[in-house]
Amino acid sequence: MSRLDTADNRASSPAEYRSTGARGGAGKSRMRLRDYRASMIVAALSAAFGVALVIGTGVLSSAISAHQLAGEHDSVRITVLIVSAVFFAIAVYVSAVVTANTVATVIAGRVREIALYRLIGADSSRLRRGIAREGLVCAALGAVFGTVPVVIAGLIIVPMLVDSRVLPDIPYQVLDPLLKAPLMITVAMGYLASWVGSQRVSQVTPIQALTVAAADPTRPVARGRRVGATVLLIGGLLALLGGVVLGLVSPLGVLVGLVGGVLSFSGIVMFAPVLMPALLRLTGGWMGRSPASRIAAANAVRYPERSARSMVGIVIGVTLVSMFAVASSSYVQMMIGIADEQPEYAEGMNQILTMTLAIFSGLFGFSALIAAVGLVNNLALGVIQRAPELGLLRTLGFTTGQIRRMIVAESAQMTLVSVGFGLVLGTFYGWCGAQATLGAQLGHGLVTPAIPWGVFGIILALAILVAIGASLAPSRRATRGSAVAALAAD
Amino acid sequence: MTTSSSSPVLAARLDAVTKSFGVGSGAVVALDSVTLNIERGRFTAIMGPSGSGKSTLMHIAAGLDSPTSGRVWLGDTEIGALDDAALTRVRRDRMGFVFQSFNLVPTLTAWENIVLPFELGGRRIDDSQRAWITDLCHSLGLGDRLNHRPHQLSGGQQQRVAIIRALATRPEIIFADEPTGALDSRTGREVLTLLADACARFGQTIAMVTHDPIAASYANRIVVLADGSLRHDIGQTSAAEVSALMLSLEEAA
Repeated sequence: MSRLDTADNRASSPAEYRSTGARGGAGKSRMRLRDYRASMIVAALSAAFGVALVIGTGVLSSAISAHQLAGEHDSVRITVLIVSAVFFAIAVYVSAVVTANTVATVIAGRVREIALYRLIGADSSRLRRGIAREGLVCAALGAVFGTVPVVIAGLIIVPMLVDSRVLPDIPYQVLDPLLKAPLMITVAMGYLASWVGSQRVSQVTPIQALTVAAADPTRPVARGRRVGATVLLIGGLLALLGGVVLGLVSPLGVLVGLVGGVLSFSGIVMFAPVLMPALLRLTGGWMGRSPASRIAAANAVRYPERSARSMVGIVIGVTLVSMFAVASSSYVQMMIGIADEQPEYAEGMNQILTMTLAIFSGLFGFSALIAAVGLVNNLALGVIQRAPELGLLRTLGFTTGQIRRMIVAESAQMTLVSVGFGLVLGTFYGWCGAQATLGAQLGHGLVTPAIPWGVFGIILALAILVAIGASLAPSRRATRGSAVAALAAD
Repeated sequence: MTTSSSSPVLAARLDAVTKSFGVGSGAVVALDSVTLNIERGRFTAIMGPSGSGKSTLMHIAAGLDSPTSGRVWLGDTEIGALDDAALTRVRRDRMGFVFQSFNLVPTLTAWENIVLPFELGGRRIDDSQRAWITDLCHSLGLGDRLNHRPHQLSGGQQQRVAIIRALATRPEIIFADEPTGALDSRTGREVLTLLADACARFGQTIAMVTHDPIAASYANRIVVLADGSLRHDIGQTSAAEVSALMLSLEEAA
């Protein structure tokens, strides 16, 4: 549709564009650090994680191969790299969802401004390209901020470990050429995720700059998106179950399952604007019947996209952590089963199990941390963007206390629902993962998932603390000034 | 895209335009088969009580909304037939807008706001355009305010920036939506004088939607809508007469 326009834009050289005196006037206006802070933090975390993994696996495989025949060096290194790549992929995926979510939230708060640009003649693909470019810049800055300290730490810590004889005294290559990979992947992720997150720009109509009324918040999910989400969901589930079945005969099942897991989860994320409000509606009565609670419950459902964006972050974090908890519990359960049958293995296994679980919790915890950054940012931006609405409630006679209670009730309800949903998903994915990984080795066929209730309780408590903490601080800021000023803010 | 050849006198044209919102028994007809010609080089006021359909009329004339039935032209371009990308270019290159709420981009300076339409089109501002814009800024007393952000300007200054932005590209038509609605009466009169001047001195075509009889009295022509239909179409008229006319409409309703 916009092919002509693209040609138009290409005809004008960037130099010409700059010469008008306000370079990237369109871009600059959207570039506000506060809005993009989360994208940068997430890029920094993801790059730091990837770089740490590359350095760690490089050092580790050098150390291991020092004890082994030269020929095995490569195979050790490749195995460790594949495992790291899986964890890095999960972290990048979570970062991408968080970045796309952040961009979508920022755009939702800028509808009028974007509509104004559209009205005076910017086409939406150009605006989207600008946003994606900003995403690229943020991700590049974040990636550098994340990489530098990790590399410096590596350069300091590795010789220290050699000195203290933790590592054998052989040369290590901390400045691995492979370090470029996580950097480049992070930057590409920032660009693509911003592009995907900016999709909403094309739904902003120029007329929204002229009308006072807000955009219709109950707009249904576009048909193309529904079809795409359905395909992802069904295809992903089939791949996931295929992985489980393949896992019964081959350890490769887990890789097929991973692809299926990522695809099906993406489908769920895309369905979130429909799915989450439906879940919220079912649970709306939980928060009581006071005016604050009733408005809170109605708000959560009234802006499905906004609620969905906040909730997806919680769902991802909870799903990841609970998936790992369920998978490892199931794994332990299977191992105990084996140990009972073959006592000669039981001795060495405990130690390996404990160590593996510790390392893997750290690796999954990192992705959960990225998800938490997204969650905190989303809730905070959401409250700030609602300043006029909150101002209106105050002019109508709500006390600031009631408004804060309303915001907390909204957060609490959304958190409870998302945690519950995440736990269900995590249990399912965790069981699939354990089954696909271990099915072949055990020859036991299918196992029942082991559910670690204690871990689930901790997840719930942490998620509620983070969510309420994240919405309280901005709600205090949002209710601080005069109600009239808040009302006028646009 | 010149339009002078086939319709030398019409800047915009609506032909039997109907617009209804909603479907079935809840449908509301905002415009009921309205035909309107807006002549080039004139300052036309579109008046009517709230709910008369005047804003819808402007949205449709500007290609911001599509009619349920009927046809719409800008010059000799039928804009009803254009896709979003083409409409975007038409807005950028051939129309200007002035709003009640000024609608300046808050993070850009006054000058950056003014040259935004050029920038969005990827066009370079040539010397004559630069001179034209600078002239406008000076004659409107904004010469030393161009590096200020909108929040550092008064309402009247913000609206003048918006008007310069609309005039800068020398568009075929400027649509103004209650341009004095958010201003005090003295500043409002200055802004109206400015619009009338732009029409008289530069031949700028302006279509202004308003419900304010004083604002309408600055126009060369006043078109009055009520309940989605054209009720009156008169030449320049004093504010008192316009008020009387509007009052008679209210009483008839």
